[in-house]
Amino acid sequence: MQNAASIDYRSLVDARAGTVDRRIFSDAEIYRAEMERIFARCWNFMCHESQIPQAGDFFLNFIGEDSVIAVRDRKGGIGVFLNSCRHRGNAVCRAESGRVKSFLCTYHGWTYDLEGKLVGVPGYKGFYHEALERDKWGLIAARVESYKGFVFATMDPEAPALDDYLGEVGRVGLSMAAAHGDVAVVDGVQKNVLGCNWKLAVDNLFDWYHVQISHASAPMSGYLPKLPYKDEDQIVSLGEYGHAISGPRSTPEMREAAARASSEVPLFDERWRDTPEALAALGPVGVASRGSPERRRASVQRMNHTFGPAGMLEQDDGENWSQSTLATRSPVARRHPLNYSMNLGRGHIAETQPGLPSIETHINEHAQLWTYRAWADWMTAADWPALKRDHAMPAGAV
Amino acid sequence: MPDMLAPAMAPSLALRLEVESFYYDEAALLDQRRYREWLDLFTDDTHYWMPVRRTKASNQLDGEFSRLGDMAFFDDNKAMLTMRVRRLETGYAWAEEPPSRTRHLVTNVRIVAAEGERITAESNFHLHRTRLASDESNWIGLRRDVLQRSDGMLRIAARHIFLEQTVLLAPNLSNFF
Repeated sequence: MQNAASIDYRSLVDARAGTVDRRIFSDAEIYRAEMERIFARCWNFMCHESQIPQAGDFFLNFIGEDSVIAVRDRKGGIGVFLNSCRHRGNAVCRAESGRVKSFLCTYHGWTYDLEGKLVGVPGYKGFYHEALERDKWGLIAARVESYKGFVFATMDPEAPALDDYLGEVGRVGLSMAAAHGDVAVVDGVQKNVLGCNWKLAVDNLFDWYHVQISHASAPMSGYLPKLPYKDEDQIVSLGEYGHAISGPRSTPEMREAAARASSEVPLFDERWRDTPEALAALGPVGVASRGSPERRRASVQRMNHTFGPAGMLEQDDGENWSQSTLATRSPVARRHPLNYSMNLGRGHIAETQPGLPSIETHINEHAQLWTYRAWADWMTAADWPALKRDHAMPAGAV
Repeated sequence: MPDMLAPAMAPSLALRLEVESFYYDEAALLDQRRYREWLDLFTDDTHYWMPVRRTKASNQLDGEFSRLGDMAFFDDNKAMLTMRVRRLETGYAWAEEPPSRTRHLVTNVRIVAAEGERITAESNFHLHRTRLASDESNWIGLRRDVLQRSDGMLRIAARHIFLEQTVLLAPNLSNFF
């Protein structure tokens, strides 16, 4: 493909025809441009505040391909810094989580404090003659904001405030995980390597069409009850900049049916939240206890069994995504676009809830097409002001 | 004369030999995909657990593995292990359709404790897997088992698996350890 700056990204996503060019999933120039135009500009999720409660607690993550450190400082704030010494670039933090008093570079001993300031330079007097302006050579800091305890970081000074960036759809999405406000993360992050383009994984999150086939073994083996949600009753909410929520409408009746269908802890059982005991128990202690140690253990086990690389559902997603990605690289296959035409032109957006443009319909691919349209906006915009001026707004029919 | 040709083996060696043989037979069942027979090697109250491993500083290694009750790759009782086998039997478990080819290598078997009918044994393993044309995965680690002897047979009352990987270098964990 041509040089990144000369690629016509909007030609790769045809929202009218419902097609997406395969090359966006494997072209090297496009991938490099994504690192700049998406990851280096957007708000990236880092961790939850409960993972780094004390001063010195840190958690390693990535912004695109940049290693970054999220760390609780001495004043109780959270900073996110590039994990790279300003001298020769060595990582200043190699454990993936833990607690430190400062960050020491193991190469020449430059030392940074918990606020990222360069506080120690061996030979500062004798070798640098005090000419090194230490306050200009601290760790490169991201802007950090959090919403309901979910910590985000951006490397772009022109990015809007997190709250504006999230919009109603982003805030609603995060609020679903933090419905009672006080959330603590269960320890342990499952990590594994998949040979697929990141956009295919995002695509899958909105995809309720694949469940009956990809995950057929789950109800067939009896692991899950016949899934209680309705294919005809789905909601898609679309936000500026490509945010989206997509899935079956959740009703109390549906949750009740899901709970009744399984004698074990069901996958989406949330009845416990409405009981007086749960509400009394939740209080300041936090939702982490989920009402009782037994309940918590059962819920965590259920998650472990279902998701993650050994999960009864997730094992099969990996095959789909890897094989799909391979076919975006082979010379003839990559000439033929992918199809995103389900329900095309029939997804009428209505703002029944203020700030939440939504489509109420059956199984569809509206959220996926919406995010690819937004992808083209992001990739085309030279900077944030350009992106603010020129991006799709959720309106009309998708 | 026959007695001189068959010197008595120290009981500890005999036990280790017995446990090794048990592990070799178990590995053969898995590599032959005889999952139902493999399940029978576990007690009804068994616990099969693989925690998450993290890179930690040498003075914070007590947090290297996730704890029981927190996130884990496997945290199964007998019913859950059985469910995994049932999933493979549906023919719709795409991660194993076509099935993987595995070879379990078991070594460094050590008897850590032996109290009556309960034996604590550790072993190193190397699970080598190929899928499709040329996908290859390797998992190496430690298994710490509690083996229970009843009716003369050994069964696995607990298996805790510790991989030598923090980020799993494989797209899934669709096989048994």
